[in-house]
Amino acid sequence: MKLPLSWLREYVDVDASAEEIAEKLTFSGTEVEGIEHVGAGCESIIVGEVLAWEKHPKADRLRLCRVSDGSNELPVVCGADNFDAGDKVALAPVGATLPDGMTIKEAKLRGEVSQGMLCAEDELGLSADHAGIMILPADAAAGTPLLDVMGGVETVLELEVTWNRPDCLCVIGMAREVAALYGLDLKIPEPALEETGKPVEEWTRVEVQDAADCPRYTARVLTDAELKPSPMWMRRRLACCGVRPINNVVDITNYVMLECGHPLHAFDFAMLKESRIVVRRAAEGEQMATLDDEERRLTPEMLVIADAERPVAVAGIMGGAGSEISDATQTVLLESATFDPALTHRTSVALGLSTESSHRFERTVDRATVEWASRRAAALMGEHCGATLAAGVIDVCGEAAGQAPIVCRLGRLESLLGVSFSRDEVLAILARLQIPVAESNDETVSVLPPSFRPDLKIEADIFEEIARMHGLDEVPAAAPMGRVVVDADDARPRAVVACRDHLVGLGLSEIMNYSFLSEQLVDRFGKDADDRRVALLDPVSADHGIMRDSLIPQMAESLGHNAAHQELNAACFEIGSVFYRAGDGIQEEDHLSIGLMGQPQGWGDGAADTSPEGTFLRIKGLLEELVRVQNAPALELQPDTHPAFEPGWCAALFAGEEKVGILGLLVAPIRHQWRIQVPVAMAELKLDAILSQTHDVQGFKAIPVYPSVARDLALLVDESVRHGDIVQVIESDAPMELTGVDLFDIFRSEEIGEGRKSMAYSLTYRSAERTLTDEETNRLHVAIMDRLRQELKAEIRER
Amino acid sequence: MDLETLKKTVAEGLEEAGAAQTADAVEAVRITYLGRKGLMPQVMKELKTVAPEEKAEVGRLANTFKKELAELLESRREELSGDGKGAAESATFDYTLPGRGPRRGTRHPISAVIEEAVAIFGRMGFTVAEGPDVETPYHNFEALNTPGYHPSMDRQDTFWLDDGKLLRTQTSPVQIRVMESRTPPVRIVTPGRCYRRDTTDATHSANFHQIEGLYVDSQVSLADLKGTLAYFAHEMMGPDVAVRFRPHFFPFTEPSVECDFSCHVCSGSGCRVCKGSGWIEIAGAGMVDPRVFEKVGYDPETTTGYAFGMGIERIAMIRYGIPDIRLLYENDMRFLRQF
Repeated sequence: MKLPLSWLREYVDVDASAEEIAEKLTFSGTEVEGIEHVGAGCESIIVGEVLAWEKHPKADRLRLCRVSDGSNELPVVCGADNFDAGDKVALAPVGATLPDGMTIKEAKLRGEVSQGMLCAEDELGLSADHAGIMILPADAAAGTPLLDVMGGVETVLELEVTWNRPDCLCVIGMAREVAALYGLDLKIPEPALEETGKPVEEWTRVEVQDAADCPRYTARVLTDAELKPSPMWMRRRLACCGVRPINNVVDITNYVMLECGHPLHAFDFAMLKESRIVVRRAAEGEQMATLDDEERRLTPEMLVIADAERPVAVAGIMGGAGSEISDATQTVLLESATFDPALTHRTSVALGLSTESSHRFERTVDRATVEWASRRAAALMGEHCGATLAAGVIDVCGEAAGQAPIVCRLGRLESLLGVSFSRDEVLAILARLQIPVAESNDETVSVLPPSFRPDLKIEADIFEEIARMHGLDEVPAAAPMGRVVVDADDARPRAVVACRDHLVGLGLSEIMNYSFLSEQLVDRFGKDADDRRVALLDPVSADHGIMRDSLIPQMAESLGHNAAHQELNAACFEIGSVFYRAGDGIQEEDHLSIGLMGQPQGWGDGAADTSPEGTFLRIKGLLEELVRVQNAPALELQPDTHPAFEPGWCAALFAGEEKVGILGLLVAPIRHQWRIQVPVAMAELKLDAILSQTHDVQGFKAIPVYPSVARDLALLVDESVRHGDIVQVIESDAPMELTGVDLFDIFRSEEIGEGRKSMAYSLTYRSAERTLTDEETNRLHVAIMDRLRQELKAEIRER
Repeated sequence: MDLETLKKTVAEGLEEAGAAQTADAVEAVRITYLGRKGLMPQVMKELKTVAPEEKAEVGRLANTFKKELAELLESRREELSGDGKGAAESATFDYTLPGRGPRRGTRHPISAVIEEAVAIFGRMGFTVAEGPDVETPYHNFEALNTPGYHPSMDRQDTFWLDDGKLLRTQTSPVQIRVMESRTPPVRIVTPGRCYRRDTTDATHSANFHQIEGLYVDSQVSLADLKGTLAYFAHEMMGPDVAVRFRPHFFPFTEPSVECDFSCHVCSGSGCRVCKGSGWIEIAGAGMVDPRVFEKVGYDPETTTGYAFGMGIERIAMIRYGIPDIRLLYENDMRFLRQF
């Protein structure tokens, strides 16, 4: 909200500087986000009088004007067309400087000399208005400094008013805050009315169908209004607050809203069918055109102000075009009412229509201000529109009952804030805030919350008032203390941290993606799982429309992003939640994904092998080491298929009977979309499958006492025989002296023959009881060789 | 030679073999220990004079040493002359060649900040609590004393799912879930992902992270909150960083404060990072509103507590001087490798 200081000072005699006031407000709960000096930089702008104008001979959209600066006639070329001879305008003569620093020079525009510039409001930093040049009051004398006509430079504070303080959304509300902060008096004008017309009841009737929707509705009628621009000072204030001046009647309703926080509406009385008002819900399918010329479809969920036949305003949000105040308006019906905040908010959201009025009504306006606001506006219309005021006011529902007292315990105040207050200090603060006290004693103060403070409901609300007036920054910082909550269990989050450490230690870098992605990206990885997908109802963009049910697509995308930036080698992981539909609900599960591309730095000589086999085995080895350092149950690989992975290069990961993940080589069509030339290995698994538990400690195993004996073994087998098969045979009936089986070579050659390979193993034997003799070792080794011959038809080449 | 002397001789022999810098020196060592008139033959010759209880051990040690030293001298000879490279290579070795070996990966800066914050609060006895990203409107709004027509309840700020649930807009629902499930004391921090329908720009991200804290007990004050945040401030940002409180409004705390940290870059004198003010807005906080305690079934008369919350991305950006939040989600290795 914008707060012009000259306006504020009408209600409170504060002589502090803008900066001081801003600091005080910021530290009492209304943050000042900026201080503007509207009109600053306009010192060299003067009032000019347009004496005559004609079209530019060579440019249809330019005018050649003769402008008086009070002493001389100047030729000025102007692009606007909202003025006529005799108008007073804002003139920047040659040598003048605009607020943006531009200095006006004599110029030739399409061959015509121009000795100045006629300015629009935005060019002078006065408002955002660029509809045309600024037209000044007719009585302004040419040559007078513009600032003199405007009443000088206005200092405007830009405030951030919090949601709980609707009372601060107006000048008087802020004056009340400032008065409380400086201990000054608040001066609220008492509008004087001359009600010379016939009684208002003879003009109109008001019917409110449901007092819950509209707790109070008042109406006044003003006749013989003379529509014209508002006085300069009022227009300036509206502009400073970001409200566009329109005409005197509308401007006055806006002015009073900005002044006291109560939105008003003025209807053209002649347009009201049967001259009456009905406050009712809209009928299904009912339509009306609002002031912004939009045709609105209404529903029974919305409250409207109607005449005898049709809606004439969306209650508390915007008036209808059909009853808009126009130059032809003579008689005005002035509405001052309150509407249910939640209803107003829902309607505003449903219509996608947020206005200064709805902004206030949805935050609660003071029911007690309804009548003052109506009188204030009526008085101003009498003064500035020459209107005659009908006698009396129609007031449906009337005043609200007062709120119940709130009992505040001084002891609790101290224990909650960590600062002690005497009763007198508390009473003084409440008095400055105009919060009445019903009674008080040494222990308690009983507070009567005023109607303009709807936020004060419980004791803690009053404590906050005392704290912020005292100064929250005055609260001392107590020495920080530790406190152990013995039964708090955060073993899992700690296990995740440990797991991340291990992954990083294994050379992987962590990436992080959004929890949502585009449907297009998901589709690339398979459309089969459509019914698993969780879609956002209203995504910001199509790029982020689907909740991820796998970390693989974004891992591929991230590697692709890097490949596109010449980062062709990467080893990454991501830990994150995935979301999918299962049964009736949405399941959420933490996953880990790993992606390897190219030859990541520091991965040793093995990383040089970027063949499919090398890449696959690298990610497998990584998972094995991860499982080991995590002390997690071993993961078994079983052949599997996945739309993202090459057939034959994909395996499911099993922990016991449970499938916990998948790994494989990314299919070429997907890789090629990101121009990745090398094989990319990826794995995704449920994070819980590899989390170690705090108390899950691996026990100590005794270090062997006796030396081991190694025996090598090379076997010729068919290609179909896998390493896993050989190990299984070796270990199936192995003696307890066999302590290690290590593959150290795979060899294929013409000599061995097509479809065959040589696999060389080193077997380690060791007894826990004695040093094995050669004879004993040989016996064990021969038994294993025999089994390999029998079960795998292996040809043993002994070494 | 007794056992003690032999052990000393063995140690000296091994050392001399390693210290030999030329083939001649190697040969000299061999002659000293293994030569016909060397020390070892002499030991064997004199074995009969050794005390009976040491005799076996001395014999074994001398034999092992003879074998060991011979091997050692052989390999040393190869090192020095073998293919003619050894000594020459060590003389001209280029120690400026790039190092080899393992390279650690990097934590994402968001994880780094979360882990750091969790560790700092952990030193004060806060434990981590977590909750789902997909939340009920009740836990995200109503239980936190946020009326149904609060602006943050708007569709334009919240991502809704078709089953009436939503993506949490803050990690506060975790506080509610923890309080619903246990009795005080509660002393938790809740790092996690949150979502708001912000259009992404340099400082806004629809998917972001928060860490919130909650301490509920019988005698908790605003002064305790300030002390806790002050400790966090100087542990996280630097020993000279101070905190200040400004009043604010949050539906679930009363009183509510905004907590600024003094600028760690300019120490409060005003710079580009703090936009000249000397202070950086970091956390929202306050004393838990009694109406929240009522919602979770705690007695608001006997229970007091504070809560605070802050944005992880914001802290990461300030801490590392990252100018654009989008860098945190691009996963560019050139960025990630810096952490």
